Formats: sequence, structure tokens, C-alpha cells
Amino acid sequence: MRHPSDGTLRRLLDEPSGVAGTDRDHVADCASCLSGLAVVQEDAEAAASALDIRFAADVELIVDVDAGWHRLASAIAGGETGPETAADPPGRWRTKLRNPVVAIVGVVALLGGAGVAAAADWFQIFRAEKVAPVTAPRADLVRLPELDAFGDLAVTSKIEVRQVADAAAAGKATGLSVPRVSRLPRGVTGEPAYRVGGKASALFTFSMAKTAQTVAAAGGKAPPPPPGLDGSRFRLGAGPGVVAAWSQGRPVPALIVVRAVAPTVYSSGVPFETARDYLLSLPTVPENVKAQLRAFTGTGTTLPLFVSVEKMKASTADVRGVPATVLAARDGAMAGVIWADDGVVTAVAGSLSAREVLSVARGLR
Amino acid sequence: MAGVAERKGGGVAVSDRPSREAVRADLEEVFRAAYPRVVAVAARVLGSRDEAEDVAQEVFLAFARSSVPAGEAGGWLSVAAAHTALNQLRSGRRRASREEAADDGGTVCPDVADTVVTLDERRRVRAALARLPRRQAVALVLRHSGLSYAEVAAALDLSPGSVGTTVRRAESALREELNRHAPSE
Repeated sequence: MRHPSDGTLRRLLDEPSGVAGTDRDHVADCASCLSGLAVVQEDAEAAASALDIRFAADVELIVDVDAGWHRLASAIAGGETGPETAADPPGRWRTKLRNPVVAIVGVVALLGGAGVAAAADWFQIFRAEKVAPVTAPRADLVRLPELDAFGDLAVTSKIEVRQVADAAAAGKATGLSVPRVSRLPRGVTGEPAYRVGGKASALFTFSMAKTAQTVAAAGGKAPPPPPGLDGSRFRLGAGPGVVAAWSQGRPVPALIVVRAVAPTVYSSGVPFETARDYLLSLPTVPENVKAQLRAFTGTGTTLPLFVSVEKMKASTADVRGVPATVLAARDGAMAGVIWADDGVVTAVAGSLSAREVLSVARGLR
Repeated sequence: MAGVAERKGGGVAVSDRPSREAVRADLEEVFRAAYPRVVAVAARVLGSRDEAEDVAQEVFLAFARSSVPAGEAGGWLSVAAAHTALNQLRSGRRRASREEAADDGGTVCPDVADTVVTLDERRRVRAALARLPRRQAVALVLRHSGLSYAEVAAALDLSPGSVGTTVRRAESALREELNRHAPSE
């Protein structure tokens, strides 16, 4: 058997339960891994000692929360806003694009063209009506470039997420029928927190220069683009949406139910098959991913979910007559189910089994 | 959303503002729950409680008008504290005067020799942290501040599996840096 990575050995020190049983058993019986573990442990202890702060043990007693709060409240009352750049995590949209669902919308925008009239006006080329997994080894998924590797992405309407009081308020804010769970899985209790987000949209402009750069960086050479592709514009939109989360004070929610208006893509410029075929010809997209994307890009209605075969197992199921994709972590830590129906995407996920999330999904009111 | 901070524990009320400018209604609640940890994250980087409290103020000021979902506030604040503290390390601002003062309020040093040794150690650790790749430095500090692998993963947009790898690399690099710049004695 292959030796577990250094990262796995490191986690073994802190969270042995987060390491697969097979890896734990292997390390216990492997002299080479045990010696590696000793080195990892030494470095971890050295770091802990270097980063030690003397008041860490009872920091809650020594840090004066009241004084801190009064200072903050006075600063706010005085109109201070804080340096925007200091605490702003870089590129919300970039992060969103890394999220498999949204990232896929981007790729689909380019790959999944429907039959398109060659008009100069904006026309819809993609609307998610079903969801299907694209499975590939993680290494291949990592190789998939993001949209901004092919051109310029300008966010025209940012996702603003805010908490609302209850399901009724969420429904009012989004115009969606808010899914209600009829029976909670065992171990999940209480009322969910509702958050809503408005419509998000972005404008993508294809750039041949950037594409050539991306392909060159991956060691390839981009073929000459078909006429008209350089500078073509695509308008991406998704939302509004609502999330109900049962967190019970934990950092990772036990159960979440998400519903959102499915992503759409509009285009102006070249026929979409042209863009799709060109992008599929680039060496940056791994062959197995290309093959799967080709298989369902014909109608422009399938939202691909990128799934790492090492981490997740994908299967299909039926949620009240609608085909759904079920994803289950191979370590059993979480599962989710996602489906699209009439232009609306719904997902149920949590630290639950696939059977439990399906049962919640089928019981949604 | 409410445009007024909660009045709790004698907190200061904030006047109504347009919603875009509004101070989040849950600010005090989040502040009271998260402040010690945010200070601790920054203190691990800066080695000084006073400076860490300054960083925590900056971070909460930015948070006050943000739309970060309440459930993600803890992770967001911790990451922001780590980045802001690391930025401060690199810019070196206020560093000299702080070190002259040699008083971070949270440390009681028994004698002057200890104070000098401690300051030198901290200086070396800060310098080493500043040289680590940013993502490694943040993962390292968050992990040693008590965030779980899942929390670090969520906060940095990593998979829990790669948190171990990132932290491991950071610890190895930190030790190398510290050894390379170890005092000669």
C-alpha cells in the first residue's frame, strides 16, 4: 500500500478521527511512516512553541472584551470604517468561481452552447434544467482553468448575502417558494437560520491573448481562434437564492437546504458551437473531462458538477420524479443531493448519509 | 436589516444610516463571542497583545459593515486577523516604537534578561512568518489558534485533506527559517 502523505501524518497528530482508518492502521504498522510521523511531530511542537503566546491559555480572562467593544462602538459612532483592503478576502467572485457549481456555470457558458441564432443581440444560450456530475481525478480538476484564464470577468452585480428572520421573509426577499423540511434527520434539531442572496451577474469577455497565455503556461500552444471569437461577450446570471442552515452552534452546519434560480448564460457574438469547439480543442482541459462535457453539451441545459473521484462518489436518484445527482464523500463525512426543476436548482447537504439527504429531499414541502 | 447596533451591556447606539452603510445588527453578539480568538490569532503573528488588539479593531471595523453571513463570521474574522497581522509584519509599521516600549500588557517578565530574550525570539519568529508563503502562514496561525481542520479548510477554501499538507509544509519551513537565523550561541 502507498504510504500516507505528510499532510495525512500531520492531521493524525491533531485529528486522528479525520484520517481514514486504513491510513491509521498502515501508519501503526509501518516503520517508515512512524519515523516520518516523529519528524512531523517535532516540527509541529517547534511551531507550537514558536507561536506560543503567554496569555493564550486563559486569553478569554485576560483580553478585555468590554473595553474592546466600547472602543469599537466609539470608532463606529465616530464614522470610522476600517481599511477596506485589510480584511476583505480577495475576490469574492473568484472564490465563488472556485465553488464547483458556479465554476461549472462558467465553463458551461463556453462549452455548452445550445443551437443559437447568429444575432447581435443578447440571446440565452444556457439555462440549467438538469444537473449531472463530471467525474475526474482531483489532479485533473485542479488543471481546469478558471474563466478569467480565458478572458476578462467583470462582476456587474455582486452576491449580497444577508440573514432574514424566517422562511416567510426569505420567500418575500427572493420570490422563491422556500423549501420546508417535513422531517429532520436524527441528530438534527432546532430551527434553521435563513439567509438570502440577490441576483448575481457577471460579464465575461473572451480574450485570445489571455487564452494563449494560459495555454502557453501549461506548456501548450493555442491554435488560431475562429473568426469573431476574440472579444465575444457572455453574460452570466444566477440567483436570487435562499439557504436554510441547521448549525446548532457548530462551525459546519449539520444540514443545509439551498434553493436558487438556476444559472443562465446569454451571449452576443459568435455562434456558441464555435466557442465550445475551440475551447474543447485546447490542451488545458483534460481529455476525460472533455469527453464527458462533449457528451452532454448538446442542449445547453445540463449543469455539470465537477466531482473528484477520490473524494466523492456520484450517483443518480429520483426526487419526486426529477432526476437528481447524489454526491457522497468517500470517508462518509457528508453527502448531498442536487437537482434542477423548471429553472430552479435545489440542493440538500449535510454531515449525513446519502440515504438521509435523499429522505430530506423527497420530503421537502 | 437594522441600521442600529444592538444596545446591550451599555453598548453605544449607532444612528440610522442608509442600508448600504448600515452596521450589522449582530455586531455586538459576534464581537463578544469572537473577540478573544481574533486577538489571539493576531497575537500569535505579532507576539504582542496591544498590537493584536489594534488589529482586532481594524478587522471588526471592516466586518461591521460587511455582509458576511453570521455562520461564517468566525472563520472570516480569523482569516482577516491573520492577513492583517501578517500585512503589519511586512510593513513593519509601529514596530520600532512598540519594541522600545517592551510592554505588551499581557506578559509579566520576571527580569530584564528574560524580556530581552523573549523579544529576540519574537523578532525571529515574526521574521520567519513574514518569509513563509502567505497561505501557509495563515493556515499555520489558524491551526495553532485552535481552529479545526474543517474550519481552516472552510476559511481558506481548501479541502480538509490539503489543510494537513499546507500546515505540515508551513511547520517545516518555519523550523528551517528559525534554524537558519538561530542565534550563534
